[in-house]
Amino acid sequence: MNIAVCLCQVPDSASVIGFADGALDRSRINEVMNPYDEYALEEAVCLKERIAGSLVTVFTVAPLSAKDMLRKALALGADRAVLVSAAEPSDPYFTALQLKSALMEFYEGILPDLVFCGKSSTDFQSAEVPSMLGALLGIASVSGVTSLNVSGEHLHLEREIEGGVEQIELHYPVVISAEKGLNQPRKTTVKAVMEARKKPIDLLAVSVDGAPLVLVSDFKALERKKVCRFAEDEKELVLLLSNECSLFSAD
Amino acid sequence: MTRFLVFLEQREGVLKKSSIDAWNRVQEIAALSAGAMVTGLIAGPVDRQPIGDLLAGDGVVYHANEELLRPYRQEFYTRLVTSLIKQESISALFFADSSLSRDLAPRLSVLLKASLLSGDLLFNRQGHPDGSFRPVYSGLATASFLPQRNITIYNLSPSRGMVTRSSADGTIQVLPIELHQQSSDNLLAEVRRIVLRQNSLDIAEAGIIVAGGRGMGSSAGFALLEELAALLGGAVGASRFAVDEGWRPHAEQIGQTGKTVAPQLYFACGVSGAPQHLAGVASSAIVVAINSDHDAPVFQVADFGIVGDVHLVLPKLIEALKEFLKKK
Ligand SMILES: Cc1cc2nc3c(=O)[nH]c(=O)nc-3n(C[C@H](O)[C@H](O)[C@H](O)COP(=O)(O)OP(=O)(O)OC[C@H]3O[C@@H](n4cnc5c(N)ncnc54)[C@H](O)[C@@H]3O)c2cc1C
Repeated sequence: MNIAVCLCQVPDSASVIGFADGALDRSRINEVMNPYDEYALEEAVCLKERIAGSLVTVFTVAPLSAKDMLRKALALGADRAVLVSAAEPSDPYFTALQLKSALMEFYEGILPDLVFCGKSSTDFQSAEVPSMLGALLGIASVSGVTSLNVSGEHLHLEREIEGGVEQIELHYPVVISAEKGLNQPRKTTVKAVMEARKKPIDLLAVSVDGAPLVLVSDFKALERKKVCRFAEDEKELVLLLSNECSLFSAD
Repeated sequence: MTRFLVFLEQREGVLKKSSIDAWNRVQEIAALSAGAMVTGLIAGPVDRQPIGDLLAGDGVVYHANEELLRPYRQEFYTRLVTSLIKQESISALFFADSSLSRDLAPRLSVLLKASLLSGDLLFNRQGHPDGSFRPVYSGLATASFLPQRNITIYNLSPSRGMVTRSSADGTIQVLPIELHQQSSDNLLAEVRRIVLRQNSLDIAEAGIIVAGGRGMGSSAGFALLEELAALLGGAVGASRFAVDEGWRPHAEQIGQTGKTVAPQLYFACGVSGAPQHLAGVASSAIVVAINSDHDAPVFQVADFGIVGDVHLVLPKLIEALKEFLKKK
């Protein structure tokens, strides 16, 4: 079984988010694997371990500096890593187009059985690439998956919805976006990291036609500071709230 | 003429409050941008009739009243919406942000070559919706998103506290619409079932959220928060720490790897206020923090606070609230 995992890099959570000339100031940013992609990769590797003859290949559309992340993916159990070099993705649609081209090229026109993505990237937080990729590949997609079981040709999935869980049964091929809760990602071992250093990273150049659907602009770092009013006791807090909050006193 | 389409989501035969709210907001926008027409679409059977009584203003609502569409099915829903958009020359499609719209809208965007935008609306000088703005980078910044295509899909964040206007003041015409099935499709094998949690208000839809973190001490500690939430008609939320410890289900996690919420009132109890947690609550109207550490970062984003042990403060707060509610 061929399993593809789409990865991306995002600023780590300790990074200082600031902007210069309308773009992210990268000087104070340290890039890491998108946290949701760790769940995607882990699930792919778990499946590989259960289903004999499976091959996990990770893809990223990114600059050369993303090689470190791909090495980490190899150390975490991926068999092959592909760095897709292309124009810098400018919106989720463009990213999905490039991933589609890369998958078609790499698998020579035969769809992989499973394509995993993270639910969302923590930088732009669009959560659009997985479903877009499904539509471009002409296959189903399921977003925000928290449980996955395979039986023969069928997949049993669960995703969280408002106030409950949706259970879905469907067959391959499908794009799955991984939500936290799907699994507990493993850690790299020194031995795996050493071995990953020896594995090759494939470079794949794709060119796609297509103008972005959306333009991003006007970044502003959030100034969230408020002045907190400390209540002396609980009664005072209730009074403060009843004066300030309509919901609180309406019913 | 500008034509807006609002997707009215039903779950188990009940139209969702959030999409009725979206309809009413779109009606207001249409009223401002003279001559815009609002159309609705419902996929699947709806229990409460007549539908028109729930919706404000004038307009046509297309209803695909088919059992097949009762559960969300990606392929059928995609086909239904795309065919209606083409048939009616729709220029903007509106969803109330939900797990369904998050799954469906990106597909529609690809198939219709439509710009997909989420968050809060931006308007041009004529009062037409013209883009969106929303948090990026784990909620540490915001950005504007501008459409580049003729058709735009908006995935609207909930309006604060979700005030659903009940003014059924116009004429809503409900017309049937059919789903044209094609048997050739291999995507149709999907089977969907919904299992709802009992008696729990989802944090994504709650006007008041009472969230707890490590400071609650244990899963038993959350009983205080459940009591407070029940008293206020709110929902219980949790920090990642509380979820990872197994004190609370993942569905209640708020933050970067949890849910983004926008309640009117947010209580953070025994939560330190890590940036990844705050990422999920940036658009809460009022934040109340209860923490034993006066210097906890959560107080920097709180409107009101009490410094103290949650195990002492919360019982007293619950008492004070009961007193207050009794007097009213
Ligand atoms: C990639 C990534 C993603 C993440 N995503 C999320 C996310 O989505 N959501 C999230 O919440 N976190 C997330 N985190 C984790 C986040 O960084 C924090 O670790 C987490 O939010 C801390 O939870 P906490 O506030 O409950 O615990 P702590 O940070 O340990 O804070 C506990 C607080 O409780 C107070 N306290 C202790 N005892 C008492 C008491 N008896 N009475 C009153 N106060 C008391 C303490 O003073 C302290 O301020 C993420 C981290 C990473 C790296």
